[in-house]
Amino acid sequence: MYPDVVVIGGGIVGCACAYYLSRAGARVLLLEKGAVASGTSKAGQSHVVLWEQPEINMRLGRASRLLYEQLSAELPFDIEYRQTGSLAIVEKAEDWPAFIESVRALQALDLNCSLLSSDELSYLEPNLARDLAGGASFPEDGQVNPLYATLALAEAAKRNRAVIQERTEVIGIERSRCGALTAVITPAGRIATDTVVNAAGVWSPEVGRMVGVEIPVKPRRGHIVVTETLSPDIIHCKIILAAGYMQTLTAGGGVALAANIQQTRSGNLLLGSSREFAGFDWSVSYSVLRDMVARNLRFLPALQNVHAIHSYAGLRPYSPDLVPIIGKVDTVDGFYLACGHEGAGITMGPISGKLISELITGQEPSLPTGELSLSRFEQRRND
Amino acid sequence: MAEVDKDLLICRCEEVAQGEIEAAIEEGASSLNEIKRRTRAGMGLCQGKTCRRLVERILAEKTGQKPGDIQPSTHRPPVRPVELQALATPGEE
Repeated sequence: MYPDVVVIGGGIVGCACAYYLSRAGARVLLLEKGAVASGTSKAGQSHVVLWEQPEINMRLGRASRLLYEQLSAELPFDIEYRQTGSLAIVEKAEDWPAFIESVRALQALDLNCSLLSSDELSYLEPNLARDLAGGASFPEDGQVNPLYATLALAEAAKRNRAVIQERTEVIGIERSRCGALTAVITPAGRIATDTVVNAAGVWSPEVGRMVGVEIPVKPRRGHIVVTETLSPDIIHCKIILAAGYMQTLTAGGGVALAANIQQTRSGNLLLGSSREFAGFDWSVSYSVLRDMVARNLRFLPALQNVHAIHSYAGLRPYSPDLVPIIGKVDTVDGFYLACGHEGAGITMGPISGKLISELITGQEPSLPTGELSLSRFEQRRND
Repeated sequence: MAEVDKDLLICRCEEVAQGEIEAAIEEGASSLNEIKRRTRAGMGLCQGKTCRRLVERILAEKTGQKPGDIQPSTHRPPVRPVELQALATPGEE
């Protein structure tokens, strides 16, 4: 029996698509060229962030957070989701007035957050540097183990009779004379289907080209350093990062850096963040690690004598406006996109999968998807 | 394999037993990296220096591969634990 839907990509987004589609009763085949959680989803941190700009990203984050609470109960094993809150830190006094404005703007959008003076920060987190300008607390943010979340979504999809086929690369997509999708081609053969979800992350442009669709996603490399396990007293809030980190990471050329300290359930710290366009180079650059660790020590000097045990780099699927591309492609019947999540695939994976399932199975979408469409880039070019 | 083997600690840093590694392979893990992601074997302080060979052997036995054919897990800097202040100090590339 041929599948109703073929999902391409076994990262968190593709596995969430497979899970929600199979739960809605669709026969799903997920094709992954490596192993589940072997690309971008294995190379990030842990933050489920509710305050990513622009506003559509906040809406996706808030919807996903509620789904994570449900998934914690639904999925076959623990994904280490917990509502940790997060602290955003402003380093320099000169940036404080603009930060106050940005927090007020978030509050106006009904986001639960509050400003913290320098003294309040020191009281809450005694290990932080004393000369920081201040910060804000976002109590509804959370943390998840991205590996376990991805693997658990895949396992749950399997239990809903989805087929998860690893080590199978899609090498072509077949269309009928009138343009409708008819099959997906793999080295092992042809799989008949009329509906395809492109959840291939940094590889999504390659899949798009198979049906003549241009997807403006580019790989952007980010580094992480892993420390030895530490006492939970080192940081009380498990996610502490530079205010406006995504804006910092996006500004200018070369290598952009922003401090980002996260303590996982296991006790290890994951230290980020860096961004640079380096093509499909997954290797770790010593000079980026050095400068990135220095940014983190500036915020948390207590880490000086803590040991790094590992490092890795991942490629974030960057979209030009930092908003993911989710929905039906107008020009190719049956072709759906769920890609371009940059560093927010872990945050937005669940809601992305749910929206795709709702669109394909004809249910009312959980939130309006107009701003997520691929055609927004075309419209902007024409404006 | 004898039942007593199930509790044998393979990864001492993360306290992962033989039975957990076998279960990961039964769930579909077919490389050292995939076993690591599921069980944490090799994620600890020694980064698999102690358990790598043992996990390779279990994988070879369970899947019928030759130990030499098993893809090595990914190794990245640092080679041994290093203090963050040393890592952040400018030095030779």
